[in-house]
Parts: sequence; structure tokens; C-alpha cells
Amino acid sequence: MTTSDNKFTFVKLDDKASEHIAAPKYSYWNSVFKKFFSSKVAIFLLIVLAAMVAMSLIHPFISGYSPLDAPNINNPSTWYNPPSAQLWFGTDNVGNSLFDAIWVGTRNSLLIALTATAISTVIGVIVGMFWGYSKRMDAIMLNVYNVVANIPYLLLVIVLMYVLGRGIWQMIFSLSCTSWLSTAYFIRVQVMIIRDREYNLASECLGTPRTKVIFHNIFPYLISVIMTSLARDIPSFISYEVFLTYVGNGLSEKDASLGRMIQKYSAYMTSSPYLFWIPVAFSAIISVSIYVVGQTLADASDPRTHMV
Amino acid sequence: MKNYILSRIIKSIIALFVVLSIVIVMLFTLIPRVNIFKNDTSIQRMKGDEKTSYMYNKWDELGYLDFITFNEMCYASSDDVKACVSGDTKEAADILQEYENNGYIIEQFSDGSYYGYYEYNPLEILGNFYSHFIQIDHPNKIEDPDNPDLERKYYIGSDQNGVPAVMCSGCEYKYQIYFDGSFPFIHQNIISLDFGTSYPTKLGIDTMNVIADGQGNAKMEEQTFPTGSTQNSPLLQHSCRYKPTSTLDRMDTTKFTDNYANCDTQYDSPSMISTSLTFGLISLFIAYLIAIPAGIYMARKKGKLADKIGIVYINFLSAVPSLAFIFFVKQIGQGFGLPDKFPHYGFGDIRSYILPIIILALLSTSSLMMWTRRYMIDQSNSDYVKFARAKGLSEGEIFNRHILKNAIIPIVNQIPVSIVMTISGSVITETVFAIPGMGKMLPDSINMLNNNMVITLTFIFTGLSVFAVLVGDLLMTVIDPRIKLTEKGE
Repeated sequence: MTTSDNKFTFVKLDDKASEHIAAPKYSYWNSVFKKFFSSKVAIFLLIVLAAMVAMSLIHPFISGYSPLDAPNINNPSTWYNPPSAQLWFGTDNVGNSLFDAIWVGTRNSLLIALTATAISTVIGVIVGMFWGYSKRMDAIMLNVYNVVANIPYLLLVIVLMYVLGRGIWQMIFSLSCTSWLSTAYFIRVQVMIIRDREYNLASECLGTPRTKVIFHNIFPYLISVIMTSLARDIPSFISYEVFLTYVGNGLSEKDASLGRMIQKYSAYMTSSPYLFWIPVAFSAIISVSIYVVGQTLADASDPRTHMV
Repeated sequence: MKNYILSRIIKSIIALFVVLSIVIVMLFTLIPRVNIFKNDTSIQRMKGDEKTSYMYNKWDELGYLDFITFNEMCYASSDDVKACVSGDTKEAADILQEYENNGYIIEQFSDGSYYGYYEYNPLEILGNFYSHFIQIDHPNKIEDPDNPDLERKYYIGSDQNGVPAVMCSGCEYKYQIYFDGSFPFIHQNIISLDFGTSYPTKLGIDTMNVIADGQGNAKMEEQTFPTGSTQNSPLLQHSCRYKPTSTLDRMDTTKFTDNYANCDTQYDSPSMISTSLTFGLISLFIAYLIAIPAGIYMARKKGKLADKIGIVYINFLSAVPSLAFIFFVKQIGQGFGLPDKFPHYGFGDIRSYILPIIILALLSTSSLMMWTRRYMIDQSNSDYVKFARAKGLSEGEIFNRHILKNAIIPIVNQIPVSIVMTISGSVITETVFAIPGMGKMLPDSINMLNNNMVITLTFIFTGLSVFAVLVGDLLMTVIDPRIKLTEKGE
């Protein structure tokens, strides 16, 4: 029973090696970015979006455009100039450059959509987390939700705008007045699903503090849910602004916005179609970009997609 | 289960009235009451006392305040009316003081005569609104001093077509319950909801009638009247109401044997409700016809090209502002010679209907497709599907026979909601195409500051949606008996 021992050599016992976990290194945010930037469409639309946001922030300061000013109103040769090399988007009925106007309009439309989304998301997520956790609060909030969810949202926004008057802040208030409730409901359902999963029960049994459970076990799952709701909310708020202003229940004359421009220039739809279609195209491009970028980010921020 | 339905109904009704009350209070308190005259053409010709008294009378009528002139104060509260009316007496001063103490604000017309008004607080506004909200017709309703011998009874008679009807003498309406050929075939005039009258557009017409009555020109129809005379007349005999004897004229007596001569007129174009309903139902049908097969197909070809194209379409529709989408489709449609506005060809021409219906249908396909696909894919991972595959069933059989039946349940749940909601119309599409329906009425009445109309529409829209959700839930338990709405399943 002699085996050739010379094929084996003794190694020194390494205490550290037994501590090494043979799992790949995982970082949540690194994986999110890696996943997000693997989508070429999303990168392209993100660049488009960033360029549009930057232009709408910077350009109004350069142009100094205000919808109430009309410096060229007495100079008919500047009216209705179609798009050209000097005037990229042409001029409108009082000789104002549409290129100047559209960035102010984009800025205000984005301001309304982003602020309303921020308000309804912040309130919605905070309320939704508690709502999902506390059974007593669930009983009360469900009844509130059933009342509010039954009211047609558009009706509510229109009536609120009517009552509060026209203006950017009134519109932000009207839009976010009840929309946070649907975000909260959305979050509540997600929290309830994740809350009682085995790994959370195990965490609690092992003595992990509750705040750590919330922030390390539950929040990463919620990020993708929140991103999905953001990607849905911003375009829908842009759409509501455009529509409300178009039917005359939205912003007043002194505030430029995409909806305001579509309403103002719809009279020239056949005579100078560029005046009408450029704002329409802008509203569509911005909405689609935000939606696609947001959805891609939502997919990327879902930890389940990180497993290869 | 019965208890559950009852509590759901009660909760729904409470929700409806909470919303209605909040809207009423907001409309009456937050909008300055001077604003309601912005679109009133008759006030622009008035000035001075005439204007003041017109404004206060209108506010009184709309329920903002209680307006009372000095003479009315005297007749209502003074013991010595003569001394009071003559003014400058102690009696007159006492009366004014009495009203002032009751919260009235006393002011003077430019001719020196006094008037007072009492502004209602929000609770009183709600109280006044709900006190006349539900109107029940009964045989003692009519009080006509010129007609003391009016009989007060219900009886079974027959209408102009010889169809039996429950009729009434002494009620507001002659026909209490009657039958005719239009939906819902059995009609009643016993209970009605009173939302006040429309102002300043469609002046003086009940808001419910603005929505429910026909539009356009009066439609003449050969009909026989109770006197036996046959005339070409636009009157709707089923809608006849009591007319005080003092206002009856010769035209009325040639047609009617009794005082029920105040009839609604028949119009040649459908009402706002039925316009919205027509558009809604057809487009809904088309949307389901396109979206469900498309969703099923996408689920079957998951991850393949057809699925990807479908997802792009769904994303495009959910992201693009609906207004931009409507204009885009409209522009394409105009290339085929379709009208850009509904009134261009009007109700009689099929071309008026094509574009709005296509747009309405396309707008609702995206979410339907998305959910159908989602439910199908969720179901396709379940054990019974794996078992069916193991048995050797073809993919077509598995999808159409097994998965579809389970996946369709939540879709079916949505159908009554969608059908009922078509009554309220599509605000966006109807506004863009200028379709005279319910949806367009909301922004229109807000632009005209027509508060009673806004209240009516709020009630209808909210009521319909509350009702539709309830019906949807109940229908779901019928389709799938496994689903229990109550926790214990009682």
C-alpha cells in the first residue's frame, strides 16, 4: 500500500485564505451604471435630453425672450419668416424668433413636470413606506385612496386650476395635489410584497436593525419601482400641461410653455405649419426621451437584472 | 357578500357626495363672484342701478347670497307695511336694523332706496344645494290658484301612440312612467336631480337637460295631440309639464285638453351624452378588437421582432403627449380628405366620425396591449402550462385554450369600467375635433365660468366612475368564482 507520495507537497496553512469568499465582487451602483450604459438607445436619448435641458436653462438668459414682448411688431418683414439658416425655427406672427420662444417654453414645461413629479414622488414614497408597514395606517389610507382614486384625475386637475386661477405654481399644485396618492399606493404594494420575504425575516431574526433592513434590503428594490413611476409621471405631466393649456384651462398669456405655444400657434396650422409643428415635436421628443431613459434606468436599477 | 356590496355602495355614495361638496364649496368660495359675469352678454349693456340689481338677483338665483329689496323686507317682516314702505319712518329704520342684526349688509341704490344681502357661508351653500337636490314628483306638487279643481291622482292612461303609461294629475309631469323606443325603453319622471340652471351659456335651461336633450334644430314630427288634432310639431309629449292656467294660450288649448302643455322640444341631432356614447362604444370595440389579439401575439412571440415592435409602439403611445399624437394622426387623416373638425360635415356624415374614432381607439390600445401581454406572460410560467406542454399540446392550444382563459379575467374586469366611462367622453379628443359631447363640455363650461354646469359634470363623471369600478369588481367574481372580495368569502 505504498503510494507515490512525491506527487504531493505540503502547503503552509493559510488562515486568510479560508476567510476569502469566492463570490464575484458586487457593487449596486456600479452594476446599475454598467447595465444602463449597455443600452445605446438610452445613451443617445440621454444626450439629446441633456442637450435640451442645458439649452432650455441657458438660452433664455441669452435671448431674454418674454411672451409679452414683441419688439418687431411694427416691422411686417420680420413676421412669419419660415425656418432658415439665420432663424433656425423661423419667426411667429409678431416677429419673435421661435427658436428663442421654444427654449423658454421648454423650460417652463419641464419646470412644471419636474416639480410636480418631485413633489408627488417625495410625498408618495414617504407615505407609501409607512402605509406598507403599518396595518393601522393601511386601514385608514385605503379608504382615503378609494375615495380619491374614484375621481377622474383630469376632472380634478381642471376644476382645481379653474378654482385656483392660472399660473405655473397653481398648475404644479393642481397636478401634484392627488397624484402623490397613486405613487404612495404603488409603493405600498411593493413594500408589502418585499416586507415579508424570507431574507428579510432572516435579517430580522439575525438581529439586523430595522432601519438597516429598510435601507439595505428594501430600498434597492424600491429604487427601480420609483424610477418606473418617475418615467411614467414626467411625460404624463408634460402631456397634462400641454393639454390643459391648449384647451384654455392652463397657463395664462404671460407664461410661455409648450402647451401655450401649441395653443397660440394652432391658428397658423395651415398658413405657417412650422410654428405649430415645432412645439408639438418638442413636446413629443422630450417626453419620449424621458420615458425611455427612465425605463432603462428603472430596469438597470432592479437588482434582479444584475445577475448574469 | 351582501353586506360587502352594501358597504361598498354606501362608501361609494359617501365618496361621491364628499367630492361633490368639496367642489361646490371651492367653486362658490374661491372664485370671486364678480367673475361669473365675465361672459354674460346682457350685463354689458346695463349700468347703474339696473346692473346692480341684475347682479344681486343673479347671485341670489345661483345660491351665492340672499338678496332682498327694501319693499320685500317690509312685506316679509313688518307689522305696519304701509308705514314701512313709505320710508323715513321709525318702522322703516327698525326693519333695516333688524335685517342688519341678522347678518344682512344694507346698501343703497343711487335713487336712495335700500337693499340688503346676506352672504351664505359654505355650510349654508351646501345646505341650500342639497335641500333641493332630489326632486320627487307627487300629486300635490302643483299649486295653481287659478285652477282649484285640479284632480290629484295617479291613473293608467295611454300616450299618443296608444302605449299604456302611468300618468298623474296634480304632479309636475303628466307622464310618470312611460315606454318608448329609445334607450333604456322604460322612462320615469318621478325622481329627478336638480343642479340648477345653466348660466351664462344655454341660459335658463336645467344643466341636466343641456347634457341629455338633443342638439341642433327642432325636429318636426307628425303627431296626434290629446284634443285629437294631428299636427306637425317638434313637441315631446312625454315630457309635458304643468303650465299655470294664467299662462296658457290658444296654441296650447288646440293641442291639449288639460294644463300639461309645457313640453320639451325634439331636436334633430343627438344629445351630448349619446354623442359621447356613440364615439366611445365604437372606439372601445375597435380598441379591444385590435389590442387583445395583438397582446396575445406579442406574448407568444416574446423577445422576437413582433414583440419588440409592439413594445416600441406601446412606449411611444404612453410617452408622447396625447395632444401631439392626436394632431399627428389628424394630419395624416386630412391627407385622405377627412375633416379636421366634427361640425364640418356634422352628425349626418360618416366622414365626421372616422378620425376621432380611430384616434380614440388607438389611444386606448397601448395600455390594453401592455396588460394583455403582461398577464399572458405571467400565466405562461405557471405549472398548469408546463403540464399542458408535457402532455404534448401544441403552443396554439396552450395559449388559446389554457392561458387566455386565465389571463383574460383582469381584462374583463376593465370592460364595464370602460363602457360606463365612455358616457363621460374623451375630454382631449372631443375638444380637438370640436365634437359636441360631454367631454368637450367640461373645458367649455369652465372657460365660460358656468359653475352649475361644472358641478353637474363633476357629479356625473365621479358618479359614473364610482359606479363602474363597483360593477367591474362584482363582475369579476361572477367570471371567476375563485375570487372573493371579502376576506372570509361570505
